[in-house]
Amino acid sequence: MSALQDTGTNKPANILVVDDDLIIRSLLKRVLSKAGFNVFLAENGKVAIDEHLSEEIGAVLLDLQMPVMGGMECLRYINKHYPDLAPIMLTANEEVTNAVEAMKYGAFDYVIKPFKSKQLVALAQRAFQTYTQTKRLRKVEAELIDARENEIFIASKIQRSLLLGRPPEDIKGLKINALTIPSQKVDGDFIDFFKLDDHTVDVVVADVMGKGLLSAFFGAAMKSHFLRALHELTIDAVECGMIDDQCMLQEDSFHLPQPQDIITRVQARMIRNLEELESFVTLCYARFDMVQQTICFVDCGHVRTIHYKAASGEVDLLQGINMPLGFPEIDPFIQFSVPFKEGDLFFFYSDGLTENRNPANEMYDEDRLVNFIKLHGYLEPEIIIESAYAEMVAFADSKTFDDDFTCVAVKIDQKQAYTQLNAQAILEIKSDLKELARVRFFIRKFCENVPDSLLEPKRIDMLEVAVTEVATNIIRHAYAGRTDEVIQIKAQMAEDKIILLFYDWGPQGFDPQSVPPLQNISKMAIKDLPEGGMGCYIIAQSVDEVEYSRNQKGKNCTSLKIILAPETND
Amino acid sequence: MELSTEQIDDILVIALKAEILDASNSKKFRAQMTSLLEESQKVVFDMNQIKFIDSSGCGTLLSCLRQLNGNGGDLKLSGVQKPVRTLFELVRMHRIIEIYDQKDDAVCSFQ
Repeated sequence: MSALQDTGTNKPANILVVDDDLIIRSLLKRVLSKAGFNVFLAENGKVAIDEHLSEEIGAVLLDLQMPVMGGMECLRYINKHYPDLAPIMLTANEEVTNAVEAMKYGAFDYVIKPFKSKQLVALAQRAFQTYTQTKRLRKVEAELIDARENEIFIASKIQRSLLLGRPPEDIKGLKINALTIPSQKVDGDFIDFFKLDDHTVDVVVADVMGKGLLSAFFGAAMKSHFLRALHELTIDAVECGMIDDQCMLQEDSFHLPQPQDIITRVQARMIRNLEELESFVTLCYARFDMVQQTICFVDCGHVRTIHYKAASGEVDLLQGINMPLGFPEIDPFIQFSVPFKEGDLFFFYSDGLTENRNPANEMYDEDRLVNFIKLHGYLEPEIIIESAYAEMVAFADSKTFDDDFTCVAVKIDQKQAYTQLNAQAILEIKSDLKELARVRFFIRKFCENVPDSLLEPKRIDMLEVAVTEVATNIIRHAYAGRTDEVIQIKAQMAEDKIILLFYDWGPQGFDPQSVPPLQNISKMAIKDLPEGGMGCYIIAQSVDEVEYSRNQKGKNCTSLKIILAPETND
Repeated sequence: MELSTEQIDDILVIALKAEILDASNSKKFRAQMTSLLEESQKVVFDMNQIKFIDSSGCGTLLSCLRQLNGNGGDLKLSGVQKPVRTLFELVRMHRIIEIYDQKDDAVCSFQ
């Protein structure tokens, strides 16, 4: 007969015979060898354990009654250390009860002495096959678990590196820090940041119902929907002509898609998927506008964002009125706008924090979190996040949480606040001299954004005169006194300058050459004093640069540039 | 523009009751002045309430000065606010028209 083999590993079929009777050992060695087994012999349980038992043994014949260590004791050892190995018990007639007992401890079967060799060999072969099959099954199981773990690991890696947004570091005046810890290997919370321009950033904190892979993939889908909505709404705005391609500045925050429109579009795109999967998403979509110094947010059933106010040390809770995404919402999404000041902090989070439980099964709850932020709101974002995590660990008395744990801290940075000089504003007036006061009010308001150190009040006074002169020239000369034409004024502020653009569509525009240059009037005879013509001189003296231009479409532009004096005592 | 006048001996004090004197109201103002100034030689404009003036406003003041000079008279200003004064200095108006802080000082300067 050919040698028996483990068909999975092609290893020889090793069998261990444990019996104190030398004759039986010899007999069994002969018949089993003949059947193709590789036979090992031991005279008692102890020798078997000490010298022969290993992963290589595929079957055991075990006598019940032996000196030093009997069959039952040895069986228990095998059952504990080699659970896949099921010995065949050899027993005398009077020990049958013990043999039945042995079956409970994992024996494969029992054979009563004296036995027929053929019967025993057949049994040994079955025991060996069962052993190799069990082993193979275990191996496949382990491989399956490995494979699944590996996939989750990859999913988690993809999520961390590609899906969960990193806070931008280059928004002047803003410091952002974020932390998200999945309760399973993959996170059902979703955070992202969209930097729309140098002074505008959108923060999204969302919680997809459920945990693990499904919610992670939902996060992925959501991210792409947000990006698409942002892109499409921007394109719509350009096509509608809301953004003037000729003079669009990067600082133009007026025509950015509004948070409520973004959410409306994302909801429209995702509602069917959410319904099919019977899932929903709570979220807070917040826009930080460093020019307007406001946060504009849409809240969809998410936990309330905490606003720490540095000036008073008090906190407010930002709450919207919208239902979570995935609910059949009929009402339009509503956004709210809240002003902020230097030193303020916004703390976004998921319910993993407020619903964190301690060993007594109490929830951490919103009140505790609000008090925590009230006490720590003055700290830097990364320290607040670290402390919040430490607080949660201490409360739960555990480093792992039942739910996904996410928080984002956004701080309005005191040190950088004064450089937040990116702004744009637009005013449209009729070509009527009665509108001059509005032009001055507009410019004065606009200049309120600039600290006195960069633009002295006296220069603002002069600027008011200059814009009055420019507008007067356009009304009187470019529009020849017609009062129903339009003048558009764009005020733009960058780091170190203010640019004021006056657009008109008069047939000729205002030609500064048409006005005689003004001499020093104090040296003129009073009878020669001009009653007009001082305007251009005043404009030139009040600003750093003046430029007149006219494009092919007949749009005239008067451009004034004011250089902001650099701060000397930084 | 609303005005209030006060005669102190032979001096006419005209208080300008408006906050601005710019292109939007200077023509009307000039028209109001023409007849008032015909009768007088010594005139004080009390500018106390004027917070803003532009080149049209300056031109109007110069025109008034010229009218009075033509009759052998003179124009003096009082109560000129800071932003107004800044512009006057820019266009050197302060060297052509005498400016006083107080109305009484302007009146005294004629006496």
